[in-house]
Amino acid sequence: MTTMRGPADAATASPGSAHADAPVAAAPAAAPRQEAVRGRRTIWSSHRASATFDLDIPSVNLVARIRVALAVGVAATGSFLPSLTREQSALFLIFGLVWVPWATVVFLASARPNSRLALVGGPMGDLVVLFGVQLVAPQAAEVVLLGYVVVVAFAASSGGRALAGGLAMLALVFTVTARYAGSGQDFGAMVLVPFCAALLAIAFLVDRTTTLRARAAVRAQRYRTRAETVLAHVADAVIVTDATGMVLECNPTACTLAGLDTGDMAGLSCKQALGLWSGQRELDCSEGCEILRLSEGADARQGVELWRRDVSGMRQPLLANAAGVPNDAGGTDVVHSLRDVTRIKQAEEAKTLFLATASHELKTPLTVIRGFADVLSDYDSLSDNTRREALGAISARAEHLTQIVERLLLSSRIESGAVSIPAEDMDVTPIVDERVRAVGAATGRHARSTMPKALPRVQGSENALITVVDHLLDNALKYSPGGAPVVVGATADEQWVTITVADGGIGMDPDQVAHCFDKFWQAESTDVRRFGGTGIGLYIVQSLVEAMGGTVTVTSARGEGSTFACNLRRADAPRVPAPPGPAAHDEQGQPGVGEVTSIREFMRQIGIPGRQA
Amino acid sequence: MITDVVVVGNFVLGVVYTSYGLITIAELKRGWRTMGVSHFGLAWIAMAFTCGPHHLEHGLHVGAVGHGGILDLVAVLIGFPAGVTWFLLRLEALRGGRGDRFIPGTPWWVAALPWIFGAYAIALATGVATVLRDGGHFGPRLTPNLLLLGLYCLIGYYLLRTQLANRAVAGGWSLSGLALTVVFPTCGLMHVTFVVYATTGQYDVGWHGLVIDWLAVPAAIYFLWVVRSLSLGTLTDWNEGSTGARLETVAA
Repeated sequence: MTTMRGPADAATASPGSAHADAPVAAAPAAAPRQEAVRGRRTIWSSHRASATFDLDIPSVNLVARIRVALAVGVAATGSFLPSLTREQSALFLIFGLVWVPWATVVFLASARPNSRLALVGGPMGDLVVLFGVQLVAPQAAEVVLLGYVVVVAFAASSGGRALAGGLAMLALVFTVTARYAGSGQDFGAMVLVPFCAALLAIAFLVDRTTTLRARAAVRAQRYRTRAETVLAHVADAVIVTDATGMVLECNPTACTLAGLDTGDMAGLSCKQALGLWSGQRELDCSEGCEILRLSEGADARQGVELWRRDVSGMRQPLLANAAGVPNDAGGTDVVHSLRDVTRIKQAEEAKTLFLATASHELKTPLTVIRGFADVLSDYDSLSDNTRREALGAISARAEHLTQIVERLLLSSRIESGAVSIPAEDMDVTPIVDERVRAVGAATGRHARSTMPKALPRVQGSENALITVVDHLLDNALKYSPGGAPVVVGATADEQWVTITVADGGIGMDPDQVAHCFDKFWQAESTDVRRFGGTGIGLYIVQSLVEAMGGTVTVTSARGEGSTFACNLRRADAPRVPAPPGPAAHDEQGQPGVGEVTSIREFMRQIGIPGRQA
Repeated sequence: MITDVVVVGNFVLGVVYTSYGLITIAELKRGWRTMGVSHFGLAWIAMAFTCGPHHLEHGLHVGAVGHGGILDLVAVLIGFPAGVTWFLLRLEALRGGRGDRFIPGTPWWVAALPWIFGAYAIALATGVATVLRDGGHFGPRLTPNLLLLGLYCLIGYYLLRTQLANRAVAGGWSLSGLALTVVFPTCGLMHVTFVVYATTGQYDVGWHGLVIDWLAVPAAIYFLWVVRSLSLGTLTDWNEGSTGARLETVAA
């Protein structure tokens, strides 16, 4: 990721910055123009993850920091002096035990934006401390007066005329009090008059517009940063082009969409950067924005369906919108938003495939049922044995149909959030053993259970666990066509009980593993005919396990079988710990992303959740 | 005997905290590339590198003078288990372990902690009154110790607040959190005992200790400021951003 820059500082981008990179496919004739565009505009991008200290320190915060440093410095200096008089000792105790704590309180308060305590309390505390010094150490009177002036000046710059005026009056009162309190201070007119004049000048002549202007600049910068941050983080690609289709600005999503590095987009034409197609026609915006034209007559909010080839050459469907915006030169630029609808299209295709699959799954038993029913109705002379066999077949197929329909209904209920899993303590071993026997009996296949007898009880629902185990066993047996062994086992640690279902079947490659819990997904489209099924079994498994507060993972390799692991929380474990994730150390032995570093741990212990890299 | 235990205890704590600072430097360096500089990490390193040397210097000083006070001994013994527990948990995390233990419910020894701490505070107050019955001299050299008492108690307050909130949700305690919660106030009270003995002249305030303690003051202020800013959501560090304080359940 690269640093967010506003348009104003684009011109100062270093040669090594992203702007200096050459475009991938810029036309030679357009190169000078592209460079001009790059000098004028910039790319919105997201925050840099590396070190950036906040240099825009509001003046109150800055003064609070200076105050703490000064207070600690002065108090520390006093404690290093070899010998102190009684008065000096009292003076430095005031600094150490009054000013430092007060400065700390004000500093802590300054962490909150627009803190009145920091704005008003800070300088007032300073005046009180200076007054104390005035009383205790009359010989430092001139230094104290200078201190009053500095405090009022800082207050005027950060808090405005009213605050500075009030503080100036307070300083005058303190000074007069010290003068007549018998502290020994005896200012002459040569000191007192300039002091009063300085206070008055600061309080009433300091132009508050300076402060207001500075605040307005800070506010404008924040607004710009906010707008850039929003654009940098929207999921849609946002691209601004001029009237000839040349890219002026874009956000990181647009760069990702185009497969270009940040900075390579600026100066390219729409055609070069994106290569958009509408149906069989490639868009060319050199004579004006084609998307704008396509949007005419249609509801602008609906968008226009386009497509392009992504970096891997795959067709990438997009939903595009465009709108004209006036630019500084009096012309019109065009703002485009492009949404990648690949997943939506895939979902549509998956649903279409599902309809075909479900129809096939439903039709097969129905055909059998209908066939046997016809036989029973057409042939009166059938023997009792033949009738019983026909009825048995009808019953078995009806049971199969029921299972399919129940599975579909459960999937639908999960998706609508209508499934509630009661939290109860249960012993998993007898449940799993019973399901292994039942599924083995129903399918005629052998699955072996190695469940330990003394597993801890887990939190969850017995019915949900039965469904999960049934689906995993069904899946394991289905994809182990050669009679490869299926083994069910379990392990436990201090937090979790992990139930594993391992098969020696066809296995999956990494890409298939990544999608195997997706709804309506099957490893290969041919699997639908090869193995049957609707592609929602593992989706149901994952949904139910997660509803029980656990996780399900899979390890698999093509041709070497698969192992599914369900992590269920122990009944005696705390209710909300993180599930067991990847190892805390990576292959190189370096702490991994999820490692609980000391910094994160301490943050956690003061109630501030840490962020992952 | 008292002196020996105070010396050894302080040496161990000194090594523990200094080592912990080194561990944090390594972690900060590792996360720097992906998550940037952590104010929190820097502040914590500053704390560790003032606390550690303070204990080493104090142990050395008491050993050289040979007059360890009983209040100092009690302070070390109270803070020692918590400090070492926290450090061992961090070592475990560094080696890929969990770095924490969940304590279901409230076992007797956790329930006893407030009573132990209350009794300790009363005993300390009594001890202080006894030691100071003949008067003493309090000067600016002892100021940083009192400042550190307040600062460490404030940090302890943030920790305690989180532990209590977590307990309500998780139904138990985090050993790591409890250890930290105990460590900070006891560190502050160690400084109080030092002030008491220095006031009566039993302990000498050396310039090296003074330097370390004065460095510890801005370090602790910085740390408190980071903690408060993170709680308010006005500072983005290695936390989840400007969402303000969220007392989430954090059982291991």
